[in-house]
Amino acid sequence: MKIPPIALTRLRSVLGDENVLTDEASLLLHAYDCSLSRTRPDALANILREEDVSPVLQILSEYKSPFVPRAAATNHAGACAPLHGGVILNLTSLNKILQINTHEGFAVVQPGVITADLQNALRKLGFFYAPDPASERVCTLGGNLAQNASGARCMKYGGTLDHVLEADAVLPGGEKIHFSRSAAGPDFIGLLAGSEGTLGVITRLKVKILPLVKHVKTFLVTFPSLADSVQTVTDLTACGIIPRCVEAMDQTTLQTVEEFSHAGYPTDAQALLILELDGSPAQIARDAVRLEEICIRNHAQQFIPAKTEAERQKLWLGRRAAYAAIARIAPNVMVGDGTVPRAQLPLALKKVKQLLEEKNIRASLLFHAGDGNFHPHFIFDERNKPDVLRVKRALKEVLQICVDCGGTISGEHGVGVEKRAEMAYQYDKPTLDLFTHIKRAADPLNLANPLKIIPVNYDEKARTAEPLTPEEEELAQQIRARREANLPAGTAEQNKRPNTRAPEMFSTKELNQILDIDLTNYTATAQAGVTLDELHSALKEKNVFCALPAGESTLGGAFSSGGCSYFYAHVLGIKALLPDGSAVRYGGKLMKNAAGYNLTRLFAGAQGTLGIVTELTFKIFASKPDIPKTKTSPARSNALWCAIKKELDPEQLFPALPEEIHD
Amino acid sequence: MTKKFLPTPHETLRALHTPLGERTVYDSAAHCTRCGSCQQTCPSYIFKRQETFSPRGRNQAFRLVLEGKLNPQANKPLLEEILFSCTLCGRCTQTCAGKIPTAEHMLELRRRLQTKMLPGTLHALLSLRQKSPVWFGHTVRLGLLLRRAGLVKIGRTLKLTDLFGLGWINRADELLPRKITRLSRALAQHGCTAPEKPTLIYLPSLEAEFFLPELALSTLKAASKKHRVSVWRNTASGLFEYVYGDLRQSRLAVRRLIIRREREGSLPLLTDSIDVFTFLKRAPQLFAGNKHWEEKARRLAENLVFVTDFLSAPAKKTAPFPTPVRLDYSALFTREEAPFAAAEKILKTHFKKNFVECFYTDADTPAFGYGFVRNNLARAMGLQTVRAVAQTQTPTVFTLSGLAALELNRLFKRFYPNAKAAHVVNLHG
Repeated sequence: MKIPPIALTRLRSVLGDENVLTDEASLLLHAYDCSLSRTRPDALANILREEDVSPVLQILSEYKSPFVPRAAATNHAGACAPLHGGVILNLTSLNKILQINTHEGFAVVQPGVITADLQNALRKLGFFYAPDPASERVCTLGGNLAQNASGARCMKYGGTLDHVLEADAVLPGGEKIHFSRSAAGPDFIGLLAGSEGTLGVITRLKVKILPLVKHVKTFLVTFPSLADSVQTVTDLTACGIIPRCVEAMDQTTLQTVEEFSHAGYPTDAQALLILELDGSPAQIARDAVRLEEICIRNHAQQFIPAKTEAERQKLWLGRRAAYAAIARIAPNVMVGDGTVPRAQLPLALKKVKQLLEEKNIRASLLFHAGDGNFHPHFIFDERNKPDVLRVKRALKEVLQICVDCGGTISGEHGVGVEKRAEMAYQYDKPTLDLFTHIKRAADPLNLANPLKIIPVNYDEKARTAEPLTPEEEELAQQIRARREANLPAGTAEQNKRPNTRAPEMFSTKELNQILDIDLTNYTATAQAGVTLDELHSALKEKNVFCALPAGESTLGGAFSSGGCSYFYAHVLGIKALLPDGSAVRYGGKLMKNAAGYNLTRLFAGAQGTLGIVTELTFKIFASKPDIPKTKTSPARSNALWCAIKKELDPEQLFPALPEEIHD
Repeated sequence: MTKKFLPTPHETLRALHTPLGERTVYDSAAHCTRCGSCQQTCPSYIFKRQETFSPRGRNQAFRLVLEGKLNPQANKPLLEEILFSCTLCGRCTQTCAGKIPTAEHMLELRRRLQTKMLPGTLHALLSLRQKSPVWFGHTVRLGLLLRRAGLVKIGRTLKLTDLFGLGWINRADELLPRKITRLSRALAQHGCTAPEKPTLIYLPSLEAEFFLPELALSTLKAASKKHRVSVWRNTASGLFEYVYGDLRQSRLAVRRLIIRREREGSLPLLTDSIDVFTFLKRAPQLFAGNKHWEEKARRLAENLVFVTDFLSAPAKKTAPFPTPVRLDYSALFTREEAPFAAAEKILKTHFKKNFVECFYTDADTPAFGYGFVRNNLARAMGLQTVRAVAQTQTPTVFTLSGLAALELNRLFKRFYPNAKAAHVVNLHG
């Protein structure tokens, strides 16, 4: 027993005797989630009230006992396996919907609320919550944020992190903290998204709700090749049509699914897309005509629109039954999760299929074509050790393929322990170091869900860092030089607060290249010193747009200063220099990335306090996007920001945090 | 592993007939991928909100026990609590992609732990039906006579029924109708006699035989339109033994049914209880490994008919039920057998928009005497059903078993008197 008896006694005094369990059976039944990981905890604590979380964490912190927050435990990454033992915090009883405000468009919920329960409550009021993970009938909203879950509607509406407005959390030491999107400063909700309980326990959420979409039109289209189906999605994006769902299957999956569900899918097609449009009837009708044209142009074999609701349900029948169709084949199914830039999807899938054939592994491929996110479903028997090893090895190779194609090892399932080692495929040492610093800042005693996300002993295994551009290298050297001289540093462009400027500021104006405008993925990559006017004119030449206003300020400034918070959701990748002069990279041309802490959100609005942004990759659009008028309150530092700042910049050479300024 | 935990083969099933084919018990348990899709459909999980009392937790516990990773004797109290919390409703199997028969796993665990689920006296009484049907009949009738004489009421007032493990009498007293006619008398009154050259065998359920003779009469009336029906009075189907008792006795009962049916011309077998129906549909798995009897049991299962096969939507004027109506899906092991689809179709045809679809989180009345296993949990689940009925203001709930109708009416009487439950066979009035 790792947890001292006195700690258990104190926990019982807070939660009640019946809610702190240490019997063998209870512990073994909280040792797993939907992955293959299984580790026995030392105790189980049923949390019945939000206000109990803080005292419980204080007690655990006092006795240095690790803990793992757990709700429905439906994740595929082993995020709920207590690797260091410790206490499982069962949050399923925190399942109350506290408020639904249709006037202002939000709902306040506890973390254990089942996603479908919220949807059902909202449906009665004519509203809906956009993220729709496939497991929505069982997964919880707290779990969704912790894993940054998303679903079929992600292409149009985004994942969980884009729909949480406010969050209450308790840091591992027991300190309560409130995060709000309306406050300037780093997007800590974004950082919490996908943190898998390693930074603390989420205790309350305020989520965005939207008026129910009344008109939906669904289409089933078949193609002679995967490349044609992906090109169709690209062409749709190019003409400004964003379907609310773009689900896809390859032929093998198609045949398996049809055999099981008899949904009427044509089994001779190499690829199948299910596309769904929503909006006003006129807009749908307009888009449907263009959709058909695009599909035909891309060699569509069959184009089947659903004329009635019954037909629509029939089109979805096979896709919804896909997991069941695969699950009936063998004792166990391991669901993989990888994402690549959309244009790379055909290549990645081809490589994955080759690999599966070489290894003689049975697997089906389902994918969200709009996001470049695919899920190989490996069929195996977990009682057969060699079989498990073979499948695990194959999954590693699949993830390596994703990374080689410029993708990520997780689009929506998270890292947990199952893909922890593969994080080294994707990230270089400085970036993994930054993840470690973030974790250490929030959880200095390493108690919150320890040993997750960050690979162990990654120094040698980490991916080789890509060389910096000469301008970035020069900037990095300047930072290192000032650090050695113990002089304040920072950039004028990314920190607009004059009284925090160092006497000699760096400039990112040399970083003025627009590196890439990709009309297949619909992304642009530019250095931080590019002015918004320059960016707009370059994009205009290609007839595309971004979600930023015009002006003379720089791209890095617009991103870091906190004035354009709506832009954060459009940023897909970032490169930044830290106060120690090291360069970190996160994301890229990926529509989804659930691997590691979300660094784009950490640097967004950080006002240069944590580092200097040197490069951004962001979404671009075929038509001018609406730029919302957002009202943000002044940035105020919080415990997490302070802790991260202290960890990254102990000498406080970069600009100070807001409340440390004495105007 | 203790000797007690290793039952002889005849005390456990050799294989399970799952919706995805025949599997050994261990194979079946190992098919669970722990995806958790079953959690929210489980009535006891919704109530308890703990993994331990969820279908996934139950399957994992069972698997750990089979693999010898969880000592069943050392953990018996919690394992029994896990068993007690499962109503065997099969909603988890319905949701499960791999169609894991969790209810069957729990029955296997019961057998391995040799757990007595029912109060001892009730168990002894119900066991008598298979062993000595005549004495069982006499005992039940004597009990009903004493009840009619007011002795149960006196016993309850003086709290005597709480003594000697007879607390279940209070519940039974609340459950059963005040006035109960003997089935033989009811049959005679309606001129039902044994026909020559019958074309169908009717096996009345326990409740139809002793407590709800009108259910038996309605079933007979419905079936008589197409068949000459022979009634097998007071005949055990083996279901009670399968769920609560000894597997050997259950096999014996089914074997008797098979022999008698073959002797009487291998006629189709009609039942009024969905629980008996789902059990006999699974009868072949009782004989897994014995090809001869497995084949016979398969033929029995194939020749099983349910009352819904003889029902049609009644003419509008004859329907005596206030609308809207809904269907209670209370059943053992599954909600996916044909009678549910048939009942749904009939009710939808007749009541059209007045048929209320059940929501996936709506609970059903706990099936087959679960109330006698865990009254408090059964009551909580039953109240969820009542709440769902009240929310949709549904005055009529149809069930596919008489026992479920009794359970529901008991709750309605107290918590929502506007509603009544009735067996679907009474649709004709």
